[in-house]
Amino acid sequence: MKLGILLTSSPENENTNTVIEISRAAREQGHAVSIFLMYDGVYNVHKKEFAQLAGNGVSIAVCALNAEQRKIGKVDGILFGSQYDHACIAQGVDRLISFG
Amino acid sequence: MKNIAVMVRNLPFNTRRNSEALRMSVGLTLREDKVTVIFIDDGVYSATQAKPELINVQPSKREFEALSMLKCTLLADKPSLEERGIKNLVPNVKQAGRDEIVRTITGSDIVIPF
Amino acid sequence: MQDMVNMTTELDLRGEVCPYTFVKTKLKLEDIESGEELIVTFDHAPAVENVPRSLKNEGHKIMGIEKKGDHLWKVRIRKA
Repeated sequence: MKLGILLTSSPENENTNTVIEISRAAREQGHAVSIFLMYDGVYNVHKKEFAQLAGNGVSIAVCALNAEQRKIGKVDGILFGSQYDHACIAQGVDRLISFG
Repeated sequence: MKNIAVMVRNLPFNTRRNSEALRMSVGLTLREDKVTVIFIDDGVYSATQAKPELINVQPSKREFEALSMLKCTLLADKPSLEERGIKNLVPNVKQAGRDEIVRTITGSDIVIPF
Repeated sequence: MQDMVNMTTELDLRGEVCPYTFVKTKLKLEDIESGEELIVTFDHAPAVENVPRSLKNEGHKIMGIEKKGDHLWKVRIRKA
């Protein structure tokens, strides 16, 4: 199954841990996982767990506008994309969960 | 094509959150999916003719114009409006009873509470 | 016969950010014929990376990206 996750809250929120744990578990079960970070969710790009998820085959995209507004620099392995990428995720997944 | 419902639920003051929900809704139309925005609970304040620029908050005019141009359905939950005594809505936002809100949610492939 | 090179439309998107940059480019492309070119001006750096990538994904061809100033780019698109 293809799972999409939208995260709009910053890392101090427990949503971050939930997203990390769900993504890990889903990958272990062989599901494809795509995460889109926007609004304050873009602050999560610097969490090492997200880099690990990306290394483990989770596709992670960030709203580049929100990142620019918050002065967040680019991170290897994470796409600094656009709302178009979110639309592609929404269209391509079997389930989309939002955390915000 | 998917049906996507975005639910705007929170107060729009002291935050860009609701405006960002609308910008995201514009973005979600880019792969030809059908997007409906539901204003509910305190989120209905986002659908009013308020003047946030008076307190230095950027209005969501551009987002509303784009959503209308892209023919997105914009619904404001009637009980939420009545509880708050709200009458003046942004053009193209339609008052909807709970039955229509429920029909929209159950008819959606994706529901995003923002 | 009309010369294809002359069939170029311009769109100025200075001041626009995502997703309006893509929405407006997409709507403009709907107005022109397949094979015709559209030149879009952007002043928002993320848009210069993301709009061409998204347009390629939609099947259009990016003929060139030209930097015209500190925060000014022109992107030439050929409609699929």
